[in-house]
Amino acid sequence: MSFTRRGFMQSGAAAMAATALPKGKADACIFLWLGGGAAQIDTFDPKQRGDGKKKAGSYYDSIDTAIKGVKVAEHLSKTAPLLDRCVLMRSITHSIVSEHAAAANLVHTGRMPSGTLQYPSIGSVIAHQLGPKTDEVPSYVVMGYPNITRDPGFLGAKYGYVYLTQVDIGPNGLVRPPDVDAARQDRRETLLASMRDSHQRRNSADPVVQAQADVSRQAFRLAGPRFMNVFDLNRESSTLRQAYGSEFGQRCLLARRLVQSGVRFVEVSYNLNFLNGSGWDTHNEGQLKQHLLIQDLDQSFAALLQDLERNKMLDSTLIVIATEFGRPPEFDAGGGRGHQSEAFSMVLAGGGLKTGLAVGATDELSKKIVEKPVTVPDFHATIHCALGINPHKNLYAGDRPVPITDGGRPVLEIF
Amino acid sequence: MRILLFFPLLTGLIGAPAPPLPSGGPVRVEIFEDVAGKDLDLTGASAVDHYTEPAFAFPHTPAKFAPNAIPLDRSTPYFLRATYTRAFPAGTYQFRLRARGSARFFIDGNPVAATKPQKPNTSSDDPVPPPIERGNTPLRPVVYPHQDSLATVTLTAGEHTFSLVAAVGGKGLYPSTGELAVGVSQRGEVDRLLGPDSAPVLTDAAWSAYVASSFARHYESDTARRRAVSREVTAAWTERHKALRAKMGAATAGADIDGFIDAKLSVAGVQPAPPLSDLEFLRRATLDTTGLVPTPDQVRAFLKDAAASRRRNAIDRLVDDPSWADHWVSYWQDVLAENPGILKPDLNNTGPFRWWMHQSFSDNISFDRFAADLVQMEGSATLGGPASFGLATLNDAPMAAKADILGQAFLGQKMSCARCHDAPFHPFKQKDLFAMAAMLNGTPVSLPVTSTVPQGEGGRKPAVTSALKPGELIAPEWPFAKLVAHAESGALPAAGTVSTRRELAAYIISPENDRFAQVVVNRVWKRYMGVGIVEPADDWSRGRASHPELLAHLGREFMLSGYNMKHLAKLILNSRAYQRKAVGLPADQMSSAKRLFAGPAHRNLTAEQLVDSLHLAAGKTFDCEEMNLNPAGDRTAKQFLNLGNPVRGWQMTALSNERDRPALALPIAQSIVDVMSTFGWRQSRQSPSTDRDDAPSPMQTLILANGVLGTRMARLSDDSWFTAMALGHSTVAELVEETFLRILSRNPEAGEKESFISLLQPVYASRVVAGAASRATKRESDGRVSWSNHLSAEASLIRMEEERKLRFGDQPTARLSKEFRERYEDMLWSLMNSPEFAMVP
Repeated sequence: MSFTRRGFMQSGAAAMAATALPKGKADACIFLWLGGGAAQIDTFDPKQRGDGKKKAGSYYDSIDTAIKGVKVAEHLSKTAPLLDRCVLMRSITHSIVSEHAAAANLVHTGRMPSGTLQYPSIGSVIAHQLGPKTDEVPSYVVMGYPNITRDPGFLGAKYGYVYLTQVDIGPNGLVRPPDVDAARQDRRETLLASMRDSHQRRNSADPVVQAQADVSRQAFRLAGPRFMNVFDLNRESSTLRQAYGSEFGQRCLLARRLVQSGVRFVEVSYNLNFLNGSGWDTHNEGQLKQHLLIQDLDQSFAALLQDLERNKMLDSTLIVIATEFGRPPEFDAGGGRGHQSEAFSMVLAGGGLKTGLAVGATDELSKKIVEKPVTVPDFHATIHCALGINPHKNLYAGDRPVPITDGGRPVLEIF
Repeated sequence: MRILLFFPLLTGLIGAPAPPLPSGGPVRVEIFEDVAGKDLDLTGASAVDHYTEPAFAFPHTPAKFAPNAIPLDRSTPYFLRATYTRAFPAGTYQFRLRARGSARFFIDGNPVAATKPQKPNTSSDDPVPPPIERGNTPLRPVVYPHQDSLATVTLTAGEHTFSLVAAVGGKGLYPSTGELAVGVSQRGEVDRLLGPDSAPVLTDAAWSAYVASSFARHYESDTARRRAVSREVTAAWTERHKALRAKMGAATAGADIDGFIDAKLSVAGVQPAPPLSDLEFLRRATLDTTGLVPTPDQVRAFLKDAAASRRRNAIDRLVDDPSWADHWVSYWQDVLAENPGILKPDLNNTGPFRWWMHQSFSDNISFDRFAADLVQMEGSATLGGPASFGLATLNDAPMAAKADILGQAFLGQKMSCARCHDAPFHPFKQKDLFAMAAMLNGTPVSLPVTSTVPQGEGGRKPAVTSALKPGELIAPEWPFAKLVAHAESGALPAAGTVSTRRELAAYIISPENDRFAQVVVNRVWKRYMGVGIVEPADDWSRGRASHPELLAHLGREFMLSGYNMKHLAKLILNSRAYQRKAVGLPADQMSSAKRLFAGPAHRNLTAEQLVDSLHLAAGKTFDCEEMNLNPAGDRTAKQFLNLGNPVRGWQMTALSNERDRPALALPIAQSIVDVMSTFGWRQSRQSPSTDRDDAPSPMQTLILANGVLGTRMARLSDDSWFTAMALGHSTVAELVEETFLRILSRNPEAGEKESFISLLQPVYASRVVAGAASRATKRESDGRVSWSNHLSAEASLIRMEEERKLRFGDQPTARLSKEFRERYEDMLWSLMNSPEFAMVP
């Protein structure tokens, strides 16, 4: 590819970047993903009570919080007193309302799909921009199922993630099989080393063979005990483990340990859908036990905030609570809720931001935005700025320049 | 005849097979389409297909083909009627009708058993059915949501006629037969499938063997029928090629690949790389043609052959190997952006045209025909005809996407930029792409708003522009008059129904369009040599040919051969240029001046080659879940495709768990996909690609070293070839040698041999555990989980437990001592994880 071509394409982008951008001081991000579409009106943007049938409105009472004049649903009672560490983003808006996968893709990549290019997830962009803090850890870890919304897209496999689906099983590929103990692993690596060496000897003039052997050696350092110990939650006190609560809470605890070890971006997917049957996708009967999900999120999130604070990591770690869309105030025939993408909430916390406020507002039933709409690109731009990343910077898909966000403007008042 | 009907399941049966039944002929089966079939009444309807089955079990039905061999959909529902006459001794028999949907079973014209129609499902939180109670019978249980209908019938001695009528598919349902079968038993013994004496008993093992043999039988008969029905079309293409040959004249005498390559090397004063050894050659050529490493038997046969002809003979054998088709499908899946989704349509999902590609490479249809059939986009959309290439779900300009794909694939014209604006660095405009899109569309297309360049903030002038306005209509027109100005669509043996598609096909494959043959030749060259003569291979306006005369020569050869891919492959594989040691990396040779081809560029095994070769070496099968999130079959193919049970890497697909739901996990499939995606395979192919992102990375090493798949491949379970070898009578040295041959296609060096002998020797004599039995290794996914109940807690727990168990890998054999087993497994692990294994020699 030629420099002239890039230069040509950059001139446009430079104009865009001229606006002054805030630069936050966070250096890692924990992204809590509430897959299914969490109902803002039953969590962070409560309104008048509905009745679960004809009368639209919140399904629960609301309670006061540490932010004056800002209320949340009663089942967020542990988070409420800590809410001054958070920014409630109550005016998120986008247009994909029917399909979960497409909306999840939008919220992860910050872009509408183009059909000609696969955009990277926010985790991959941050991994690409910041890299891991040390070379003994990966930069991007997912607790959840691998799927395209989390993929590196045009940035390439190098900026992909390591994932796990169950905390006690550990990350796929990094944890040794259960029947291989340290002694056996030593024997294996010794045998492998001799195979590698003889191959190198036979091809001593071939730089490609030498390079492959180096990659193989490097890899076993990544899977070394230092990083593996991060996954051993038994190293934490049982009091702390209990404070975090459920399996989801344990994921949050692991997220803290991962950030501590140098990982830049940890996506923690909410995985206890069976508490209410449907997870956050509360159609029909899913609504009845939704409070169990909210309480569970509440406990884990509050524990994470306090734990990060105790470890003096809250100012440098941005926590995001994200979901693909929200839900309307009305109830469906089964007493649950449909989808609503025109107005819903997400949460930012810590990360050295000016917290303790709610950004944007919705009408009396949380159906329409009445103040400061924040688009998904804006939301992404805010996260990137919090991490010191210029959201207008160009990434390259081959020769094609692609700004990190699609014209996203950060929410300035929280910097 | 006395008929007793009763439905409850029998329990407490004794597990002996039924006694052999008196003989009878095969079961005659007829297929009925487009009939009302109310209450399964087929009176007056005539069958569209008929064939025979060895017994009353119908896990597969024949595929349906158009006269040009492309797969077609059957009506949904369609009906199956099976009839059979045989003699029974007088006595009381129990007949078991097993079906997922509506079916009836008759004896001598009298209805004796019936199952209810299956209802389409719209739920996702139904309860998971209770676990299967096996009691103490080996009878295969009823798999959810099948039904058994039992009838106890007293038969008089002598011949009786048995018939079955069943509906397959229907509104809101997936068109598959499931485990449709009829069994018969006496005195509480285990059922035998109704049929001749030799019909299998209805146990799990016998059923899966029957399903496998049925698959093989149908695959073979589908192949034969497909070739037969398309004979005339094939002959028409042959005529076209004959005429072309007559017009072109003979091949250039004396011109060959090595002449061109060596001439440029000698001008540049560069020495060619040294030749490959015989064994290196065999490994490379086998990987390049079949996608697999050679087996020890193939190595030995090769070495037995005369030294002077063994390479040429091996190439002749390899291009005719059935795996030739497998290996090519994975390539064109990338280039043509084959992207089927198994969970509701997502962006740019196509149908599974992998199946049509596979049959096309298997039949070795000429490549111009392949391209022409693809462009016409006809046949089945969900079962994998070229129509499934025509889909691009959730895309507001699907035909523009297809035009870009076809442009890259067959013309070296990458028009992706033109999707949204006039290409700034290419000799074409947005209008060109949409004019070609309109040809595919059959009518003018309008430019979607999303295909325009948004104005930047403050009226900033965008760096790219387009002459088109949103909403503007663009008429069908061939945009590349420079490549070829004229084409006779009337003469095309591919008769599609959309005239502008036929015209487009005619332009692309026109013999006057050298570009088509040269682009394909260049792709094949690149696949075998690592780098193209033209780079980028999908975007010719940005590169120049390093060897223009060679390119022209190969293009001409390809055309003269009737666009025969095997002929082209043989030309390249037999060249000295191909048979040299690898030098450098593709990336080092992007500029045409640097491309001398002193040797092929270094390549790593592709993801498919890697997983397929590991399975072959270990002698194991994928044993993974069906690529299907709706095993209950109670939703349509449009929403939930069933891509079947994969046996090769290319048959995998995106597992689509964007919803993060454990109940949607397919753990074994995931373990294979994890390895493949780390090695450059894309689970979602939203756009075409010619070059994979597969540079070596630490994660590649680790996923293989520690992941589930690698653990399974090195595990000495009772289905491992290495277990069988270790239980044999060879000496420890022979075991080491054979193991090297099987994994690395070479003999160990003296030092290597010595170190592995010293690893195994101390425990070798006592390796066999006397009296220990072989244990089954096949894992069955719990069949109770389907989309209809995946939101229930139980469904999640079932899959999470499967995931957890899988971490331990396959059950180790009890027939080898633990001490020996662990050492030998560690040897296998070190060979499979050596960088040498993952590199093409």
